[in-house]
Amino acid sequence: MGRSVAAMITAERLTKRYGDKTAVDAIDFTVRPGAVTGFLGPNGAGKSTTMRMVMGLDHPSGGGVTVNGRAYRDLPAPLHEVGALLEAKAIHGGRSAYNHLLWLAKTNGIPRRRVDEVIGLVGLEAVAHKRSGGFSLGMGQRLGIAAALLGDPGVLLFDEPVNGLDPEGIRWIRNLIRSLAAEGRTVFVSSHLMSEMALTADHLLVIGRGQIIADTDMADFIARNSAAYVRVRSPQSGVLAEALRDRGWRIGRDDDGALKVEGATPEQIGDVAGSRNLYLHELSVVNASLEEAFMRLTADSVEYHARTDQPVPAGV
Amino acid sequence: MTTSSILTPPASIPAPARRGDAGGARLTFGRILDAEWTKIRTVRSTVWTLASLFVVSVGLTALICLAAAGDLGEAGNDEPVGAFVTWGLMFGQIAALVLGILVATSEYASGMIRTTLAAAPRRWSVLAAKATVVTGLLLVLGTLTAFASFLAGNYFLDREGIGLSLGDGDVLRAMFGGGLYVAVLGVFGLALGSLMRHTAGAVTVGITLIFVVGNLVNLVPGAFGEWLTKLMPGNAGSAIANVESFNPDLLEPWTGFAVFAGETALLLAIAGWLFSKRDA
Ligand SMILES: Nc1ncnc2c1ncn2[C@@H]1O[C@H](COP(=O)(O)OP(=O)(O)OP(=O)(O)O)[C@@H](O)[C@H]1O
Ligand SMILES: [Mg+2]
Repeated sequence: MGRSVAAMITAERLTKRYGDKTAVDAIDFTVRPGAVTGFLGPNGAGKSTTMRMVMGLDHPSGGGVTVNGRAYRDLPAPLHEVGALLEAKAIHGGRSAYNHLLWLAKTNGIPRRRVDEVIGLVGLEAVAHKRSGGFSLGMGQRLGIAAALLGDPGVLLFDEPVNGLDPEGIRWIRNLIRSLAAEGRTVFVSSHLMSEMALTADHLLVIGRGQIIADTDMADFIARNSAAYVRVRSPQSGVLAEALRDRGWRIGRDDDGALKVEGATPEQIGDVAGSRNLYLHELSVVNASLEEAFMRLTADSVEYHARTDQPVPAGV
Repeated sequence: MTTSSILTPPASIPAPARRGDAGGARLTFGRILDAEWTKIRTVRSTVWTLASLFVVSVGLTALICLAAAGDLGEAGNDEPVGAFVTWGLMFGQIAALVLGILVATSEYASGMIRTTLAAAPRRWSVLAAKATVVTGLLLVLGTLTAFASFLAGNYFLDREGIGLSLGDGDVLRAMFGGGLYVAVLGVFGLALGSLMRHTAGAVTVGITLIFVVGNLVNLVPGAFGEWLTKLMPGNAGSAIANVESFNPDLLEPWTGFAVFAGETALLLAIAGWLFSKRDA
């Protein structure tokens, strides 16, 4: 068994309702081995709820989800198959990191030396016997990751693993996640930051208001959404646009009347203008950000809109 | 910790030698029990609650016996002497209740319950393991506490010539009864904590139920009030831990204990049912 083809997470019509609110709305998805699958969505989209249902912690209101072909509660040795770092800091502050990992290891018959091993792996040797209540956010996160790796599982879930970490911590986790997938494991990582996902994930699952709104290859998503264009301002923009269009490039207009040229390099545009003696006042490359693409994608499904467009009533 | 070890990403994740043979590493009740035992012995609150149980029970017993021995020894005294030798347990028992509650609620306060249930998704087994650990620990400590209370209190009674003998059937029954009572009380707390998932709330309800309501129902008139008093968990259960009782209307020790154990089992069953039904 182990990291075979079966090491997957599969959700079918997975649903979670809280009262009359549907947090997760009949979603279908598959998370495959050997890749990092990013689970991207704005706040309140249903990422954590979905992950808790994968782990058998929350009961679905409908549909279901399996890990390696079984419901979580039916796994014969859960820690050997699934490791998770969930959002909440799930550690008793009065217990040392070592003892936390020790009781956890005992549940699944994991030997003591593996506890020492994972402590070394996340670099907590020096504080392993101190109360975990005094740990910094980054140290707590490392302890959570040590716990997730304890049973050397083929499937790993990380819920917003880089939240609140400093750049070094972020880089460390990013590398770790990538290396886990490179070893053939199934890695499922949630985030609400597109930029983070672009650096970590191979596959992208976008969720908004409890529904899957994109299930795509990361490379595809980038190719489709990060198309750059060249911004051109010219006093003779009408003539220039005509000339550029003749070359087969797509021409659009920015809000201020500047031309947006797709498919051409600044050099090519400059040459066209020069050959016709047209003046240029601006010639610049503009990269559409992935973050914007993500925001466009989820614009209709954002849970809590900041109401910046509302006029402030006078006299308040 | 050293900076370099923090910043260096692991090149690869070393696998334990026996990876793959899932046969040797299954989830079993014995393992969950071992894990729960490890949990309870690795937090300070366990030491504090057990120490309070012992010190409060033994200390208060010694004090009351020291203070009352003279009067008890006088001719014409009609107070039940046997009720004094384990008197402190009346207060020490709160620690047993709190210990049981904490075993459940501390996991909710920290969110650790999710780690527990990810490692051991068989929820009935988790609750049963917690109940076993609480029972075992309190059975031993409760019995030791009862013996120590007796020895301390009886020392002062002996000086007045009214001491009891350990060989006395009721005395011996109360010694082991002390262990039984606090063990079941601890499980009662565990069930309450598991139901309420909140330390302060569960402690308040538990203490109110055992102490306040247990005494207030005395005021309910008639046979109904009498039975209510007899059946309240603390009243029914504690008789087994006392050589004699101040209150002659309580159930017989073993009958009372059976009632208390039954009530606790019912509460634990409800807690377990909700535990397996609710989101963690
Ligand atoms: N226990 C609960 N009771 C009621 N509503 C809940 C509960 N848990 C989550 N919700 C609601 O379900 C929706 C999804 O929440 P969830 O925490 O899964 O979102 P998320 O994608 O993880 O968001 P974030 O990025 O903020 O972590 C939210 O509207 C949330 O308010
Ligand atoms: Mg979340």
